[in-house]
Amino acid sequence: MGQEFSTDGMLDIFLFESTQLLEKLDELVIEKKDADAFDSDDINEIFRVMHTIKGSSGIMMFENIAKISHKLEDIFYYIRESQPDNIPHMELVGHVLDVSGFISEELDKIKEGDNPDGDESGLLEELETFLKMIKKEIESDKKKEMPPENVYVAPSQFYIPPVSTESSHFYKIHMTYRKDTLMSNVRAYSATYALKEVAEDLLFTPEDILTNEASADVILKDGFKMLLQAQCTKEEILGMIDSSEVEHIDIYECSPKEYQLGFDSNDAIIDLTSSVEEIEEKVAKEKKEPQPGDYVIKSKEVGKAKKLAKNESKAPKQTFISINVEKMDMLMDLIGEIVIAEAVVAQNPDLKVPGLELSNFNKATAQLMKITSDLQDVIMSMRMMPLNPTFQKMNRIVFDSARKLGKEIDLVISGENTEVDKNIIENISDPLMHIIRNSVDHGIETKEDRIAAGKDPKGVIKLTAKNEGGKVLIIVEDDGQGLNKEKILAKARKNGLINKDIEYSDKEIFQFITLPGFSTKEKVTELSGRGVGMDVVVKNIGNVGGTLEIDSEQGKGSTMTLKIPLTLAIITGIVLRIGSSTFVVETSAVKEFIRVSEGTVIENPTGDTAVRVRDEILPLVDLGKKYKIEGYEPNPDKDIMAVLEHEGKKICIYVSSLIGEQEIVVKPIPDYFKKVQGLSGCTQLGDGSVALILDVGGLT
Amino acid sequence: MSDIIEELIEEDTQKGMYMTFKSGREHFGIAIKYVNEIIGIQKITAIPESEEYIKGLINLRGKIIPVIDVRLRFKQEPLEYNDRTCIIIIDVQSTVIGLIVEKIEEVVTIPDECIDPPPKLVHGNAMNKYVWGLGKLSDDVKLLLDPDKLIKDEDLEFMEDAAETAQAEEDAVE
Repeated sequence: MGQEFSTDGMLDIFLFESTQLLEKLDELVIEKKDADAFDSDDINEIFRVMHTIKGSSGIMMFENIAKISHKLEDIFYYIRESQPDNIPHMELVGHVLDVSGFISEELDKIKEGDNPDGDESGLLEELETFLKMIKKEIESDKKKEMPPENVYVAPSQFYIPPVSTESSHFYKIHMTYRKDTLMSNVRAYSATYALKEVAEDLLFTPEDILTNEASADVILKDGFKMLLQAQCTKEEILGMIDSSEVEHIDIYECSPKEYQLGFDSNDAIIDLTSSVEEIEEKVAKEKKEPQPGDYVIKSKEVGKAKKLAKNESKAPKQTFISINVEKMDMLMDLIGEIVIAEAVVAQNPDLKVPGLELSNFNKATAQLMKITSDLQDVIMSMRMMPLNPTFQKMNRIVFDSARKLGKEIDLVISGENTEVDKNIIENISDPLMHIIRNSVDHGIETKEDRIAAGKDPKGVIKLTAKNEGGKVLIIVEDDGQGLNKEKILAKARKNGLINKDIEYSDKEIFQFITLPGFSTKEKVTELSGRGVGMDVVVKNIGNVGGTLEIDSEQGKGSTMTLKIPLTLAIITGIVLRIGSSTFVVETSAVKEFIRVSEGTVIENPTGDTAVRVRDEILPLVDLGKKYKIEGYEPNPDKDIMAVLEHEGKKICIYVSSLIGEQEIVVKPIPDYFKKVQGLSGCTQLGDGSVALILDVGGLT
Repeated sequence: MSDIIEELIEEDTQKGMYMTFKSGREHFGIAIKYVNEIIGIQKITAIPESEEYIKGLINLRGKIIPVIDVRLRFKQEPLEYNDRTCIIIIDVQSTVIGLIVEKIEEVVTIPDECIDPPPKLVHGNAMNKYVWGLGKLSDDVKLLLDPDKLIKDEDLEFMEDAAETAQAEEDAVE
């Protein structure tokens, strides 16, 4: 239903905004879950979030969301007004999360283009009971006077009490819609909604625009009238009102006295020719330059509970905008082009005329280079996002599922500031969620079992992210019961997956659980264990070129490691040259650069070489030979050697010369090439040439 | 909808047009709908352990794309690159690849009725399998290339073919 009335833009903004609000809400609630109660800031915040969602879902006509958010708003309104000190905090937390979960689900449905048809009644009842319960307790305990109930008024009748200030202007607004306009009542409501943001006082007629569908006819016939007290100018008001389908709009500034008279004096005054002409001109101008989205964007703060939170300071302005990824890619390509063009100019052969005075030119190009390199940095950083929000979501998942299962689990997060490409974040969120759910459900034992096993009754799940060897590692570690090797083997045998001739290593055995239809859990729980899971996880991770490693020790816990290649991620690398080829090695993998004399190179009869570095003998790889780099002969006397390390293993390579350290964007080598051992990707260097990235893990 | 129409129109205006280039003694043509652009020769980064005709990677405005040498692909003698050497960027089923060619010639229109299937020549002619037709013009003949086959690794293709044959046989048995 919502789609009929809204433009897509509005729906997008609604979804975006609500999702963000819910995320904020979750974060706040989870953060305070272990506290004794919410403080007044939190209560105000939750109230505000619910109020905004109620308002915007109301206008988008998603009724179930509006109802449920209203109910929760009620609860927090009550809490704020009467400040009861006997609220069961955990229960309240649970209710808030339930509501946020419900709304998130509905939003997902809307995103998919489905109807948000979730049944809110059960949840509504629970909330009602909870509200009654906390009220009753107050009544019986203290016999305190009840604050007025926050009665459910349809959002259309939102009345903002006058707050008169000297700079306020008073306006009468008269809008008429084209006769064929559908749902003019909703359009009128959207106009009031837009004005609510600036309004100090707002009255309108007909009043029952949202609840009474017949009001649409009244509006078509008589027009829609508003009385507005605000600090903005006529132009600003015009800008705020969505002018589509509007046939005529009159805004007349009146004196406070006329304002008091209400709508009745309206028509007489508005007919003053001069003002109408003037306004018509403005309307015409306004129509020429429609500002689609103007109102929608401003609605960011629309739902602010002005009547209840008057003294609340205004929230800081939204400093984020969302950009189409395609445009970002285009920008990135263009910047790449600039860099090349710059090199073409700066190193132009025409400049090589002997005796040419170039000092000014060089200064100018140096300036240009600085700007382009800054530009490059900025665009690259724009694509990168910290894992923080994804990890925060996991907090919620752990809390929720632990609560349902009656377990007590702490989630310890570290490395959440690791930045990865946006694409990767989108692709790992679901798998990660699944792994964490598995840990909560199957990994961590029940309290009783934990005590019996001599463990802390509170389970711990560690979620860690880090950069390592050209990959992002995301590690989920639990201290639960671990995987049962025997069970897995038995199940694998039953499914005919075991080859009798092969002896399986522990890691290989654990990999069995990632095969489709493999679940050792006999009992299917609400959360997981339907046997579709780990295979989907592995598939999703595989989509971004990642792998899943499983390690476990029975009784001690399991560790799931997601290894995701840094495709498109930025790494700091050392650019070096071997013969005519340029390579990049991730800085963290480089231990040191050394110069050695020929005497320290040892060659064994099979042709393998090694080099002695102080007290260690390290294998020496000649990449020139390995990769058949033309015209390169290692020269131990002249060449430098780089000592590289990966997971504790060290190797040495010959390097002809070092170029420098720089931030690079890792790009995959096109699929067109076969996988080359020791290369993990390629990158574009500042001069526009392409360098290959060495995968130290693949060389060791 | 309008996009589709536009596409149809575009395809229609491009129908029968071929970008021609010279490699060795032969003149080749490639349907213009595959051609994205033509750029001069650039610095190429070699990829180790790849086929000889795959020269490596170039950076095309931030996109890293593979380039292959058409001469080497046709098992002709390699030629030193000079300022006439060009890279034709083609897009075949979303694979963007550069073809290094000796010399670009022109864009010609060859109506379908002037295209003959390639004659069954003696074996061993490497370029034969990439040619799907012979475009007859008044003064010479252009060998029309199938870009899909040109960029695909024949070993791979051979394997795919083998798999398909095996599959077909299996189907037949059933």
